[in-house]
Amino acid sequence: MVIIPAYNEEESVGKVVEKVHTLLPQVEVLVINDGSTDLTSEKARGYGATVLDLPFNLGIGGAMQTGYKFAYEKGHDVAIQVDADGQHDPGEIPKLLLALTEKQVDMVIGSRFLGNSEFKSSMGRRLGISVFSKVISTIAGQRITDPTSGFRAASRKAIQLFASDYPQDYPEPEAVVLLHQCRLRMGEVQVGMSERSSGLSSITKIKSVYYMVKVLLAIFVDCFKKPPFLRQEGE
Amino acid sequence: MMLIKIQIIVGLLSMGLLSITFELIRKKKLREEYAILWLFTGIAVLVFSLWPEFFLSQFFVRMTGIFYLSAVVLIAFFFLLLIVFHFSVVISNLTEENKNLAQRYGLLELEFKELRKRSLPSETDTHPPPRSGGAGMTSF
Repeated sequence: MVIIPAYNEEESVGKVVEKVHTLLPQVEVLVINDGSTDLTSEKARGYGATVLDLPFNLGIGGAMQTGYKFAYEKGHDVAIQVDADGQHDPGEIPKLLLALTEKQVDMVIGSRFLGNSEFKSSMGRRLGISVFSKVISTIAGQRITDPTSGFRAASRKAIQLFASDYPQDYPEPEAVVLLHQCRLRMGEVQVGMSERSSGLSSITKIKSVYYMVKVLLAIFVDCFKKPPFLRQEGE
Repeated sequence: MMLIKIQIIVGLLSMGLLSITFELIRKKKLREEYAILWLFTGIAVLVFSLWPEFFLSQFFVRMTGIFYLSAVVLIAFFFLLLIVFHFSVVISNLTEENKNLAQRYGLLELEFKELRKRSLPSETDTHPPPRSGGAGMTSF
């Protein structure tokens, strides 16, 4: 199934849902409407997605976890998370799925920077992400080139873990640390990403340095957290 | 004397604090679990106003370097710090529970809507639609 967390994305969410539907008609699309004040919910429903409305805004972490809880309870074996702003190309989903089974990992991250991808981005942002990448790679003991990417595929085991415990503040990089702590494996594949088709990045330029420090601090704290116990699912 | 004034002021303050706490618990406006630290604060300050001799003694001053009034302020501050810390823990718990509740609400609402959508046509139809929910849902 495909999980699309959306907060006030009425401009783009319909297009994303439509794209996923045409490319992968057999896949269930779940849009998590994170307490939007615009027509996100109606637009997504209009394009044929299953829409889960949260009563108020929980933030990206809480919304994403709701999707994983849904996937876990419905017994889905794979969950793919796609941003609602249209920067992820649903055409790359099969690539993620292939990597998930081929590499025998529990999570595959769609990376903008792996290989010779030509993702255009500002210097500052690229520098910031490279710092994250270095830190996360060191912690995880493997090369993670794009820890902030929200374009991911998760296995049943990862779904189970995220349903019970998912980082709330800066979920993308923190989830990598969490997976590593629980000894789940992850991999990366190169994907192309377009500029967001609408809306603003949640990170503005002025606050980006402050943001970086906060994320690094959160990751640092995560390293000392007790990893959650992952019980074996009954076969 | 200076000491008597301080004793009276501090004593009245602590008794006021204690009576307000008791009254709020009695009216069920304050839960006991959150009131316990306030009660301790009131009792500790009251003790200081009733037995100032100990805190004036050379022994205590030499041991801690704290004089009477400073001791009262320090203890009160320490308890306030504990209370604020306790609140941080309580708020963290509430936030987590609130998040879980919102998620559960969203999941149940979706489930309910789908159930109702599925059961609506059956009211006009003689044959109810096949039930496909539950454990045997499609994978992926």
